[in-house]
Amino acid sequence: MSSTLDVSSRARSHDEAPRGAGQPVPRARRKKKDSGRYVAYLFLAPWFIGLLLITAGPIAASAYLAFTDYSLIGSPEWTGLDNFRRMFDDPRFYQSLKVTFIYVGVSVPLQLAFALFLAMILDRGLRGLALYRSIYYLPSLIGGSVAIAILWRQIFGAEGLLNGVLRFLGADNPPGWVSDPSYALGTLIILNVWTFGAPMVIFLAGLRQIPTMYYEAASLDGAGKVRQFLKVTLPLLSPIIFFNLVLQIIHAFQSFTQAFIVSGGTGGPADSTLFYTLYLYQRGFGNFDMGYASALAWVLLLIVGGLTAVNFIASKYWVFYGD
Amino acid sequence: MRRSLPTRVGVAGGVLGLLLTTAACGGDSGGGGGGQAAEEGTTREDGPVALRMSWWGSDTRHAATQQLIELYQSQNEGVTVEGDFTGFADYFDRLATSTAGGDGPCVQQQDTRYVREYADRNALLDLTPYIEDGTIDTSNLDEAVATTGQVEDATYAIPTGVNAFTLVVDPQAYAAAGVPVPDDSSWTWDEMVQTAAQVTQATGGQVYGMQAMGLNGGDTNFEVYAREHGEALFDEDGQIGFTEETLVDWWNIEKEASESGAEPEPSTTVEVFNGGVDQALVATGRGASGFWWTNELPALTAGAGRELQFMQFPTEEGNGETGMYLKPAMFWAISSDCESPKEAALLINWLINSEDAVEIVKADRGLPVNTELREQIAPTLDAPGQAAVAFVEEITPDLQDPPALPPQGAGEVQAIMQRYTEQILFDQISVEDAASQFMSEVQSAIA
Repeated sequence: MSSTLDVSSRARSHDEAPRGAGQPVPRARRKKKDSGRYVAYLFLAPWFIGLLLITAGPIAASAYLAFTDYSLIGSPEWTGLDNFRRMFDDPRFYQSLKVTFIYVGVSVPLQLAFALFLAMILDRGLRGLALYRSIYYLPSLIGGSVAIAILWRQIFGAEGLLNGVLRFLGADNPPGWVSDPSYALGTLIILNVWTFGAPMVIFLAGLRQIPTMYYEAASLDGAGKVRQFLKVTLPLLSPIIFFNLVLQIIHAFQSFTQAFIVSGGTGGPADSTLFYTLYLYQRGFGNFDMGYASALAWVLLLIVGGLTAVNFIASKYWVFYGD
Repeated sequence: MRRSLPTRVGVAGGVLGLLLTTAACGGDSGGGGGGQAAEEGTTREDGPVALRMSWWGSDTRHAATQQLIELYQSQNEGVTVEGDFTGFADYFDRLATSTAGGDGPCVQQQDTRYVREYADRNALLDLTPYIEDGTIDTSNLDEAVATTGQVEDATYAIPTGVNAFTLVVDPQAYAAAGVPVPDDSSWTWDEMVQTAAQVTQATGGQVYGMQAMGLNGGDTNFEVYAREHGEALFDEDGQIGFTEETLVDWWNIEKEASESGAEPEPSTTVEVFNGGVDQALVATGRGASGFWWTNELPALTAGAGRELQFMQFPTEEGNGETGMYLKPAMFWAISSDCESPKEAALLINWLINSEDAVEIVKADRGLPVNTELREQIAPTLDAPGQAAVAFVEEITPDLQDPPALPPQGAGEVQAIMQRYTEQILFDQISVEDAASQFMSEVQSAIA
């Protein structure tokens, strides 16, 4: 944000020099503003072209395809609302919703709590903070990658590293953490919680913004650590918590790689890890049902958009902006 | 956010452009019925020709196919072939995507489950003219499978070879467990499960008697069972060809095998299945038997490090009259996007009819479909390859005809079968409910 402002203000002062005084002020101001805007557009152009070609175009295409029967090979045929009607009778659609909501509902709060917890520990001025911060941030960078998903499949396999340790500790018959439907989703949730680094770094920055005088005042008034956390830290951090919450919810709804790799693309065992995005992919690319997949994508957009709107409305009641 | 007018116009224009592109991708790209003259497209006489060729398979197959490509290029100046390969799991996602983009690989390895899907959508070229004008010589093709690439009267795919789905057993595992290997000319499904349970019991769970039937090749396994009972997975008209009762019976065998310990724990079963051929129980010394394709024996043997054998499917009556059939292992087909169809046809002809090519690939794409060449290379095969030839020859007189090409949507059956089998193994659903839901899901997949 600030860099954009810099660009336009610098451009403005540039323009001002040759123009000289004497012109009517309002007109000059308008002109200056416009040319600043063009420079900004110029800088934005690469991103903007990318957005049009790579994002906006396919989004618009899928909006059209959602109302067609499109087999991927062959041409789309207009079928109106058929695809949306089919969802009501599709048990796997409901299953994928269920799996995704459990995943988002459990992993996001856990992940944020964990991120905040670690951020508070790191905020106490440890030596080598930069190192710890980098180490904890690492999983966020690589957590969504194919390699990590493959690694997790190995670690959590029936004969994997984790069960080796459990057996060593005396567990008789530890389950296959990714191959048993009762545990597979839980394992993926843990994988997501593990990528707590990104929200942690943001929390850490937020914690630093809280003036220490509040804590001093609170402790003078006799507030203990817990009370300080509840009455000082949480309210002052609430905008950051809100920001992380919105971001991570959207992020979790879009999870795909982990489930795809861990289940070999099936969402198995027995559909227990059938993420919404995975089901969408299966319909579109595996089952020659791209029209239906496009409709699914739009429903997902509505769900995520709706939830985000609810989040923003609810934020009025708990987010404290300090003014 | 406020958007200026130029921005809005820009967005709308971009969207429109992309919509048009999409629509253009979807346009029909030829195909058409038989009877017309062979389209030549660009040939090597017009200048250098580049063909893209795609296949799925193991590392062994990738290496062999690269070797094929190099040899073909050295023998055919002006033709370059670009290989495009992946594992089976991702192959058809990729093929569908590239075909949708109007960029289907000229020469593509195809599977029975998908030939009709692609042919009906005009994504494959009708090969009839090339067969009629002799570009693709089909005179020596194994009669059992020669016409399996036909949809109505047009030939869209040429089989690469034949194989059969059957039981692979490890005799040493039986011997170590002190359980005699059953006689496969008279054994029953019950006997199979009981013997397997004995193996698991005798070895204290170190070696399992068998691997689950419903996951790896589950649709084919059930098809053999259905055909033994006079039914089929799909009938000649492409409709569901089996009854719910038959499916219930077959799944009950699986359930019994799971509960009696003949098979591993469900979660181990799932992991073993996800590991493919390499992690097969018989390939890792952890199992006495499993159902596999005959062309997978070399890979299984390599993993096991000891001799494995084939056995015929069991039957209900113990009369040896199984529902087994010779299957076209895979096919070669030409994309209707191909700009040099004549050159693609020449390449396919070389792949199936040239001694050089068959000597490189051996039996990896099934026993060579050209029967003359099959006999010629048989003695040069390694032990597992020879065992496959011997087994197929031995059982051929008893085999049923291969089924007709399944309908559109047949590619989904495997995954549906796998999902319900998992639910049954994990006790999430009764066999009866699974069977009725399976029927309706398959019905809507092929509708």
